[in-house]
Amino acid sequence: MDVKKTVGTYHRRLALLLGALLLVVALIPVFVKTPYIINIFVLVFYISTMSMVWNILGGMTGQNSLGLAAYMGIGAYAVCLAVTKLGWNPWMASILAMLVTGLIAGVIFFPCFILQGPYFTLVSIAFAESMRQFIINSEFFGRASGVGLPFGTDSLSQFRFTSKVPYFYVGLIMMIGVYAIMKTIDRTKIGFALKTIREDEDAASAIGINPTKYKVIAVVISAMVAGFVGFFYASYIRYVDPDLMVQAKSTEFVLPAVVGGAAYVEGPLVGGLIMIPLSEFLRANYARVLPGINMIMYAIVLLVVIRFRPSGILGWYMDSSFKKFIDEKILKKPSQDVLEQYEMMRFENKKKEGA
Amino acid sequence: MDVFLQAIVNGILLGGFYSLMGMGQNIIFGVMKIVNFCHGEMLMVGMYLTYLLYTYAGIDPYLALPLVAIIMFCLGAVIQHLLITPSLRTKSFTNLLFLTVGLGLLLSNGALVLFGSDYKSIRTSYSQHTIALGPVSIALPKLISFCVLIVVTIALFMFLKNSTTGKQIRAVSQNPVGAEVCSIKVKRIYILTYGLGIALAGIAGCLLTQFYSIFPTAGASFGFRALIVVVVGGLGSIPGAFFAGLLLGLLEQMSALFISPSYSDMIVFITFIVILVVRQLIIMRRK
Repeated sequence: MDVKKTVGTYHRRLALLLGALLLVVALIPVFVKTPYIINIFVLVFYISTMSMVWNILGGMTGQNSLGLAAYMGIGAYAVCLAVTKLGWNPWMASILAMLVTGLIAGVIFFPCFILQGPYFTLVSIAFAESMRQFIINSEFFGRASGVGLPFGTDSLSQFRFTSKVPYFYVGLIMMIGVYAIMKTIDRTKIGFALKTIREDEDAASAIGINPTKYKVIAVVISAMVAGFVGFFYASYIRYVDPDLMVQAKSTEFVLPAVVGGAAYVEGPLVGGLIMIPLSEFLRANYARVLPGINMIMYAIVLLVVIRFRPSGILGWYMDSSFKKFIDEKILKKPSQDVLEQYEMMRFENKKKEGA
Repeated sequence: MDVFLQAIVNGILLGGFYSLMGMGQNIIFGVMKIVNFCHGEMLMVGMYLTYLLYTYAGIDPYLALPLVAIIMFCLGAVIQHLLITPSLRTKSFTNLLFLTVGLGLLLSNGALVLFGSDYKSIRTSYSQHTIALGPVSIALPKLISFCVLIVVTIALFMFLKNSTTGKQIRAVSQNPVGAEVCSIKVKRIYILTYGLGIALAGIAGCLLTQFYSIFPTAGASFGFRALIVVVVGGLGSIPGAFFAGLLLGLLEQMSALFISPSYSDMIVFITFIVILVVRQLIIMRRK
């Protein structure tokens, strides 16, 4: 059989399927006008993005950080302060936010990189909480009242809109962009190094991968992206306060990854798409009747997934017959041998071109 | 000077609770290598349990202590058997971590649903008594709690050091596979250990009801302090956890006194980070 043709068909069909999904999502604001539902999607977008950010540290490198909300908060504060006190344009301020978070992660957090496993987690919690306490106590950061962004007319340059729909699209683009970044990392040398570090740090240094260097890269990248998400959040909510950096928020960002499947880059996306609407639905319908019952159901879902499907929903999907059905009938995915043959052919061609 | 002495005494009394929580966390972490993120919530459960026993059965909190300890032990054992041990197979630290996180969420929101968010309290006839020791005045319940803490610490230490079960627990914490080979029933030890850790948290909660308000998130700060105590005091060391807890309480009160109450949390956390990093550096130097 013609390897190139079969694999080509598969790729085309996959692209079509994903494109169709994307189109459906992008057209949602056209058909759904309730701001409440649009808001849910915006939440899904930025929480899933933060979850993907966590995943590069937790899922890929094996370093569970429970302090990610602090970086997002710092980014949000940086943007708010730059706009209100320095009069900067928010988009420019987002770059400042990324620089600030990257510096804090790379420089101040630097000594903590030598810690492993549970110690790293504890330090990340302590670090995040210290930063939050610092902000609460500091007059410059507005203490517990936080900092607000100015209201005004709709404007793209000021990233300020009354309707939620533009935020929907920017959030969608942000999520897809971060996904592309994460997927690239996953496929290249950095991803390989991180995964090796996750499996066995000593073995990684034995084969020439410097664990500290790659851990620093992972943390700095995640902090910078978190800072950018903070910028998005600040522009959306128009307000930031220390509650954004509280421990519970950090946990909120990790749950979609754990439920969706931390081993996959798509895991947080799937997890976010399921958990966040579920949480909002529960909160809207039940919290009025019995405060707290929505979180109970949420916690039960989490416990059930961890206990019975530890590899997450995507892990379950990968093993299921549903996937086989989709692969064979809809995507016409060729067998593993054929795919490997295809990869070998591409590799040979690259060698020929190189030579 | 008086204020200083009072702060020291308060620090030690408060630190006693951190020690108690830390010991419970230590046992669990030492044996199963999992960070029990719902330890704080277990303290809260202990508090509510004591409250129920006091309000509906009229049992004085101190008399209810053994009952609370037993009930919490059973709770811990059940949780361990149903949820945690099956998940230990996956050897995934993330999963176990979030299992306990989920449990914590379940417990604190369960309390919210069952009891509401009102602050509850227990006040017995002797709750307000204070004893004067020179310039320092100590609240009677706090003093009793501290005495109970000493008794519990000594009992725990002797148990782990001398009894057969205690030795089995230590064996499993050092090498689970080797322990299994020596025909120690590791799964049973896990259940025992987790139950014991939770019982300790319950005891802390019961003692705390006399002078601390009861509400669903009451345990959160204690939970994290427990982790700090475990790490600073050294894994698997009961005396270590004991002294680390006291030191933590002292540090908190001292920084509240000398610097500022609102900064005391931050100072505790930063000190924690510094200790962790320095210790890791020392370990790495030795290699």
